[in-house]
Amino acid sequence: MAEVTYDSATCIYPGADRPAVDALQLAINDGEFVVMVGPSGCGKTTALRMLAGLEEIDDGSIRIDGKDMVGVPSRDRDIAMVFQNYALYPSKTVGENMGFALKMQGVPKDERGRRVREAAKLLDLEPMLDRKPRNLSGGQRQRVAMGRAIVREPKVFCMDEPLSNLDAQLRVQTRTQIAELQRRLQVTTVYVTHDQVEAMTMGERVAVMRAGQLQQFASPTELYDRPANVFVAGFIGSPAMNRFEATADSDGIHIGDAVIQPSDAQRQAVQGHSKLVAGIRPEHLSLGDGPLTMEVSLVEDLGSDSYVYGHLAGDAESSMIVRSGRVHPRPGEAVKVAVDTAHLHLFDAASGLRLGD
Amino acid sequence: MTSADITTAATVGSATAAPRRVVAKRKKQRNSITWGIVGWVVGIIFFFPVLWMVLTSFKTEAQAYTNTPHLFFTPTLSQYRTVFDSGLWPYVANSAFATIVSTLLVLLLAVPCAFALSLRPVRKTRDVLFFFISTKMLPVVAAIIPIYIAARDLHMLDNIFTLVILYTAMNLPIAVWMMRSFFLEVPHELLEAAEMDGAPLRRTMREVILPVVAPGIAATALICCIFSWNEFFFAVNLTATQAATVPVFLVGFISSEGLYFAQLAAAATVATLPVILAGWVAQRYLVRGLSFGAIK
Amino acid sequence: MTAIAPPVAARRTARARADRRKQGWVRRTPLLPALVFTIIVTQLPFLLTLYYSLQSWSLVRPGSEHFVGFANYVDVFQDSQFRTTALNTVIMTVGVVLIAMVLGVALALLLDRKFLGRGVVRTLLITPFLVMPVAGALVWKTVMLDPTFGIVNFILRPFGIGHFNWVGSLPLGSVMIEMIWQWTPFMMLLVLAGLQSQPTDILEAASTDGARPLQIFRELTLPHLRRYIELGIVLGAIYVVNEFDAIYMMTQGGPGISSANLPFYIYQRAFLGFQVGQAAAMGVVVVVATIIIATFALRLIFTSFSGTEQAA
Repeated sequence: MAEVTYDSATCIYPGADRPAVDALQLAINDGEFVVMVGPSGCGKTTALRMLAGLEEIDDGSIRIDGKDMVGVPSRDRDIAMVFQNYALYPSKTVGENMGFALKMQGVPKDERGRRVREAAKLLDLEPMLDRKPRNLSGGQRQRVAMGRAIVREPKVFCMDEPLSNLDAQLRVQTRTQIAELQRRLQVTTVYVTHDQVEAMTMGERVAVMRAGQLQQFASPTELYDRPANVFVAGFIGSPAMNRFEATADSDGIHIGDAVIQPSDAQRQAVQGHSKLVAGIRPEHLSLGDGPLTMEVSLVEDLGSDSYVYGHLAGDAESSMIVRSGRVHPRPGEAVKVAVDTAHLHLFDAASGLRLGD
Repeated sequence: MTSADITTAATVGSATAAPRRVVAKRKKQRNSITWGIVGWVVGIIFFFPVLWMVLTSFKTEAQAYTNTPHLFFTPTLSQYRTVFDSGLWPYVANSAFATIVSTLLVLLLAVPCAFALSLRPVRKTRDVLFFFISTKMLPVVAAIIPIYIAARDLHMLDNIFTLVILYTAMNLPIAVWMMRSFFLEVPHELLEAAEMDGAPLRRTMREVILPVVAPGIAATALICCIFSWNEFFFAVNLTATQAATVPVFLVGFISSEGLYFAQLAAAATVATLPVILAGWVAQRYLVRGLSFGAIK
Repeated sequence: MTAIAPPVAARRTARARADRRKQGWVRRTPLLPALVFTIIVTQLPFLLTLYYSLQSWSLVRPGSEHFVGFANYVDVFQDSQFRTTALNTVIMTVGVVLIAMVLGVALALLLDRKFLGRGVVRTLLITPFLVMPVAGALVWKTVMLDPTFGIVNFILRPFGIGHFNWVGSLPLGSVMIEMIWQWTPFMMLLVLAGLQSQPTDILEAASTDGARPLQIFRELTLPHLRRYIELGIVLGAIYVVNEFDAIYMMTQGGPGISSANLPFYIYQRAFLGFQVGQAAAMGVVVVVATIIIATFALRLIFTSFSGTEQAA
């Protein structure tokens, strides 16, 4: 059993005015693949390193398998970490790199060799066992870093942006390999990335962080369909969700000059909130007769469909994206846009929190 | 696990977390203090001879030349006065002249040379670098005889310029290697940008490169000054009265007719002070100079 | 007879070649002053030394020099004093370099830790290397090691060693102590540079892999430090072999030649005995020995340190 629990875990760097990780509360199940994602500086890497024992837990605690890790050094936590720059031991061969942790545990040479070879087979590293890291390509080094973690059969895998140094094609390939590997090995994994596509495709649940604080911890679908606040709404999904300043009254929801008729549930949810942020994804807007008017500035034709960029008529500061089919307007045109109100997201403008379900 | 169980686990967990956190923090502080004590003790032990030399220089001979050393005493400048009155100044002047002029010459020769070997590599760059280091590694003692004879025949004995020439040759390899390592650190995007902006080489050199390597030049100059000022072998063999440098002055104190501890301490302090200060300033670059730029 | 003009293509390559040659010279010119200066001032003397070594020549009898072939070399190798000073040189070099390196590694490890005033301690520790060698030797001989008035004996008095004549009874040892004091900072700086160039994420990886500090040091840090230690030993050896200042100031090679090394002995022969031919021959021998050590140094500098070692 290797559940991981962050219980109000906090980390403050000396001299900083706000915590790097602020009272993080996360309950991760045994064998679950959790991704921590967010913009740089959001604290995701610090949170990972706190779990690994490489940063102090200044307040609160972190439990692995029920055991409190405060004051416990890295080497006693039974955690394997894959570093962003791989951190392979330069003076040792691939085989020695992978077997290092077992050597530290006192595992006898034969068994070490056996386990290293098993992991090497899994990762296609067998021909390279006697090579030194400097003679390997970036992708091969990445696999050795993974192999080093796998061999240990630890309680938890910690992965710190392991794909960020690979080229785009390799990244996609390796992404699926990692996900498959984790499914096979069933080891609790905490994975950090700044790339929300990685987060959405790999994680069973995803923790979105910002400025040290957890924004939402849910499955990718949940994050996509029901973002808990404006930040998550804008962070998850590419191209980003449209977010408009809006107000609500008895007539409906006003976005600029347009009025949109909400459902009863939505009308109920916005009771008492006057200033809103209305969110709607590009795929839930369509060109054609509708309440909104858009001035087109740019069209991106991706082949299968296209994205029309522009701004709300009358509000040059706003940003608007509509997904369209093969036929699309030209830059400079003003077009009408229809809204799928069932997929309208409503947030309180002051707090940013989601209104309604 | 129900939420109730999780909450109980949480409270139990945090109850034991706090004392363990404190223990871990205290251990870290204790470690830091222990290393601090060890560090300071070791530092003072190594520094002690220098410290003792400086202290002794402010004592009277009676206080210095005694069975039981005094740690506390009223300092006096009389030793320094004696040392300077006995004619230390000409030696200092000679040392300063040889050091400064040879260092300037070294920079004049080394900077273009290092530039050619780094930013505009020629064929046989490696061989040239190899050659420079090898001159530094060969024992001077094997060259002193012909140098002495040549100096004698050219009437250049006891001439400060002989030392200038020799010190220049002595420091040139170090300077070339150090400056080369600094030039190699200039990002070549900078050069490419200057080239795209239409700057000819000399202009680029002056306005783009030199400002970037200026600290490197300063460091190289300081290191050359350190080695020139401290140099003894050539000075003692090739000078007599006119061109003698500070190290040669110190030789006068090893005569067997009575040792004047306080006085020699004063002389030694004056001799070593400039270089110690220069070395403290150029600390960061010391390794680079010593390892021929191999290590930064 | 009309000259046949070479075809256009050939003309173009000829011009290109001339251009490239000109480019080559433009690139080479900045090099030349330094190179020519160094060749003249350093190589000529060595060639002359080689020439002198084949002569029998005493400076006190000018005009008496004559060619004797390898006779000087034969004398040198039969000279028992040469053998003694050669042995002294080896003892001094091996002793000073090894002890300074061990101390240097210890001090570098110390300075790698964080503690209050670390920068100041570092400055204190590098000072012995900056002290003018003759000044340092002078201070050690008198203020430190004097039998009656030196501070070392004062400190050792409670341990019963209050009147030991360091320089008199232990000449080679005293010189070595002074040299170890001077050279430890050099070793320390090199090793410290090595320690600080070790990427931290490798150490963190070892920590999460379950390694204790001592294991990390043995398995990762020492292998990483190896080339820095090697460079320190080789460079240190080259400089220590040629040491002159400390011996001159502390013992003048004595008593007898018990603390003389080869450079000092050669100096004695040349400037006190005026036997240029013999001194030159000894000089050549020392040069050959140094070349052997120097080749190792050069190989280290050029291969070991020209690539970059990254955390893979």
